[in-house]
Amino acid sequence: MERLQSSVVRTPPNSTVVQRRSKSYRQSYRSCLGAPSRLGLTPGLTARRLNSSRRALKSHVITEKVNPEHLALLVKTEWRLSYVTPLHQFRHTQLKRYSRQLSAFIAAEKQQGVAMEVEGSQSGFRVSFSVVQGLAATDDDAETVLIQIYSTPVFARQDEPQKSVWSGWLTCINGNPEYLQSLPKGFTCLPLFGGSGAEVLTSLVKSWFQRTFDCCFGPLEINHTSLQWLAALWTNCHTESNLQHLKMIWTLPVVPPLQVTYTVNPQDAWELWMSVRKDRLERTEEEAEAGSIDIEEVVRFVQGLKSHFYRHFRLDLSAGNLNQVSTTLGSAKSSGKIKISNSRYMITTLTLLTECALLKMPI
Amino acid sequence: MDDSARRLLQRIMRRIPAQMLKPTLDKWGRLTAAQRQSMDFTESKWALTEKLLAICEENEMTVKHITELEMIHVIENPDHCMWYALQLMDPEEDVHSVELTQFKEQFKSHLRELIRHVSIKIKKHTDEAVWIRIAWGDSFSRPNHLKPTYVVHHLQTPYVFVTSLTSKLKPLLSQALVLSTRYQAIKDASLSGRKLTAIRDLLMRQYQQVFPTKYPSPLAENDQNASNILINKEQAELAASRHQKACEAFGDGMLPQLQSAVYKLETKFRDHTNKTMTEREEAFRCVVKFASTNLLESLRHCASSGIASTPGTSLLSSIPLKGRNYFVITDNSPGPSSQTRQPSN
Repeated sequence: MERLQSSVVRTPPNSTVVQRRSKSYRQSYRSCLGAPSRLGLTPGLTARRLNSSRRALKSHVITEKVNPEHLALLVKTEWRLSYVTPLHQFRHTQLKRYSRQLSAFIAAEKQQGVAMEVEGSQSGFRVSFSVVQGLAATDDDAETVLIQIYSTPVFARQDEPQKSVWSGWLTCINGNPEYLQSLPKGFTCLPLFGGSGAEVLTSLVKSWFQRTFDCCFGPLEINHTSLQWLAALWTNCHTESNLQHLKMIWTLPVVPPLQVTYTVNPQDAWELWMSVRKDRLERTEEEAEAGSIDIEEVVRFVQGLKSHFYRHFRLDLSAGNLNQVSTTLGSAKSSGKIKISNSRYMITTLTLLTECALLKMPI
Repeated sequence: MDDSARRLLQRIMRRIPAQMLKPTLDKWGRLTAAQRQSMDFTESKWALTEKLLAICEENEMTVKHITELEMIHVIENPDHCMWYALQLMDPEEDVHSVELTQFKEQFKSHLRELIRHVSIKIKKHTDEAVWIRIAWGDSFSRPNHLKPTYVVHHLQTPYVFVTSLTSKLKPLLSQALVLSTRYQAIKDASLSGRKLTAIRDLLMRQYQQVFPTKYPSPLAENDQNASNILINKEQAELAASRHQKACEAFGDGMLPQLQSAVYKLETKFRDHTNKTMTEREEAFRCVVKFASTNLLESLRHCASSGIASTPGTSLLSSIPLKGRNYFVITDNSPGPSSQTRQPSN
């Protein structure tokens, strides 16, 4: 740990890795990834990208490990994503206290006049923090935390079920172990945040977290590479769960903007994907690699789809932006919204998103 | 005034935007001067509806009168429903002698023969279009005025535009149209959209078209912001030629506001970098939908900005060329096949 820290300090001045002098001398995530290049001349630059290869989607049957109520909530809701910097002094054992504190905070903000367009302006809010056990993939991952806000109407009957007006979660799935281990004591890393419900409540929850744990939230867009990964990873699962379609939405920058929705039959998409994989497997001839997918295969797959399109319409989709990818397994939008409709592939999708969040985090 | 008339009137009042109320009611002409004066158009729509209901009760109006009002509104604002284009085929010899009164009589009598309870209202609009409003009933029930079908036919052209029509009623309407217009068949023109004016202009080519010429076009005089003189000089000729080709493919000036086009592709995958897929026998099935607030304008811009290459040969130019926005493309046909689809309601 000592050795690594001192070498970070010695990085050349023209490096793009910026060291922030906060009370936590956290090692930069990017310098972690660039371990081999630290001794070389271009530190940090090679590290700034997603893993170029990842293990193929294995459907994890998590229904046995995870509370089904929690799962039902996580699946079939569209979440707006943000990245979160590591939380200082966050304890999974203090969740009841946090629930009370957040409730009080929301009530205080409401008194101060923050407009809350939630049904029943007379109602109060009850917050519940809980741990979603069973999602964490490795020992380094912190357990996922689920937050739910219920509205408590003033004249509620005893047996009336409380209505959930907002939910959110913080998670870390298969986070980079070097980075997680390099965090100083007292920091918990839950870099991926998803929220669903009134925007006002989302910003209140975020500001409470920022105050209490000295962290920072920021919007997480899903960039075009990650969307392509999701398209390929989901297509890869077609034999296990019927995709019904692979739908991609592009926007072309013309006046007025043109939206192209390209929906591919799942069997044909799968065959195209397999043909791309077969080529690569034939070339590398390594059995160990069979389980993992390379970025090149993903790119070739999407390129194949684009060239089929070009052959008919003479329009190059690369001129536009890929905005959305959806299948029955889930849908992802470039604005940072994700919906995972099938719990079997939750782990792999969240792994990809955790990686995006860790990369997007400012140092 | 019975219940159905009342409900119909309430429905119509909800649909007419506030600023259009007075002109529409004036055009309807069924209110006396005193009644018109008593309507205060600054009140809320709800209050006005109540007032109008009272006036209609006073005048003892029936459903027939109320449907007149609806028709006036729809003719003025046809862009609120989905319109589907149909084309009449195989004209008989005397097709050109069909004129308005003959068409009206024939259509009404044929349709009444086919279905007992039906309410038909025909009106000729100023621009040579004949508007027909049909409320369908069946052997047991009276016509349902809440779900009417509107039909627009331009006499002397083979084109007909219809709004919501169930698959059960379509053959009846088709039969009545074919018999009264002296054609032998009718088919789906694979063109649909919300703006009636747009699909009409597209189908009947009533917009500015540019024909291919061999000579440099006057379009090169279009104003261009001279940001960098050298770059502009180099690019000017290329840009002008792209613009010319774009206009040839899609038209010049104001284009009909089509909102979407759907292509169902069932062609084989051919890519020289991917042998496995190219050798595959089955078609690669996919559906591509293009959507925009003004689709033809977007496509023209794609062509003139270079995002689309060779616009004249691509499938996209078939939209204005053939006046369609639904295509099924298979390997056997070099262009769009003649397969049709049923308009859904």
